[in-house]
Amino acid sequence: MTAFTEEQVERYSRHIILPEVGGKGQRKLLDARVVIIGAGGLGSPTGLYLAAAGVGTIGIVDSDVVELSNLQRQVLHANSDLGRHKSLSARETMEAINPDVQVIAHDLRLSSDNILDVINDYDIVVDGSDNFPTRYLVNDACVMSGKPLSHAGILRFEGQATTIIPGRGPCYRCLYPEPPPPGMVPSCQEAGILGATAGVMGTIQASEVLKLILGIGNPLSGRLLLYNGLDMTFREVPVARKRDCPLCGDNPTVTTLIDYEEFCSLRGAAALSEEVTW
Amino acid sequence: MVSSDEALITLRLFGPLRDAVGQAEICLPCAGATVKEALVRFAEERGDAVRPFILDGQGDLWRSVILLLNGEPVGDSAETRLKAGDVISLLLPLAGG
Repeated sequence: MTAFTEEQVERYSRHIILPEVGGKGQRKLLDARVVIIGAGGLGSPTGLYLAAAGVGTIGIVDSDVVELSNLQRQVLHANSDLGRHKSLSARETMEAINPDVQVIAHDLRLSSDNILDVINDYDIVVDGSDNFPTRYLVNDACVMSGKPLSHAGILRFEGQATTIIPGRGPCYRCLYPEPPPPGMVPSCQEAGILGATAGVMGTIQASEVLKLILGIGNPLSGRLLLYNGLDMTFREVPVARKRDCPLCGDNPTVTTLIDYEEFCSLRGAAALSEEVTW
Repeated sequence: MVSSDEALITLRLFGPLRDAVGQAEICLPCAGATVKEALVRFAEERGDAVRPFILDGQGDLWRSVILLLNGEPVGDSAETRLKAGDVISLLLPLAGG
């Protein structure tokens, strides 16, 4: 095991004195590889805390550019990043917080063609995406490749989170077997989001990832955590793996990756065509 | 027939469904009905603004709405008969990130 430098001992001292982390745990964090899908409201706090914690390799997947309306909650990006690719802005911010961390920017839009290649290089996946097609694609790819997945979704003042450990607990499709019909569940762009809601839920995702790497505590597996920021309540719903789950059930019907129609696109046609050329 | 006071149940709504209905909680005189009957009736009464959140195209309960009866997942037992004071919670997935 590589010895810590003096700077690392100092940097991670508040971790190292935790009996649940210690030097061995900090080494696990430095050796870990985590990929975050989306450098937005959820991905920002998750990325900041994982980088600060010294997670050694962090992938960040996003094909968007930083817009002014993002800055109310997407705390990886600053005013000076307007117009820049989010994956690059995110990488710069995370590496500035902690030079121990190598951040890999994946400036691409995930699809059934590329997702397995992207997540294959990582131990754990964080879903901070902003649309149902990506959420189902990420869940399906993680279950098929056996990668633990931290899920969270947010809207207005509410959030939901769960941790998916393939083969050991329910997956996203055990909770929600199929995506909602087009236009049914509004996006943050349509319904709004209190920026701090993203902070609460993204930080929960970061905690879950760190616990998984360290092998401590009880993961949020088999449980759906519900957060209501207006009432300031947390509730928990037990969820079980469904034997009739279309993906991880006894007789799965989803056996290949599906690109659902981008029915809840948050982007205009111009932005979409721009993405294709990147 | 029990009195209406005794026969009320509570429907607790979250996320987009709460926005669509405009209330976080609704009391319904549904005791005696099954979970499914109560929700189908509610969805049909509320019409197009609410129906798609609860029912699929065939008029069955939509598979991707999580139903809780008194805090516990209903799962496949939507035929459970309601009694006064029961609380049904309806959870929908959230896409935002």
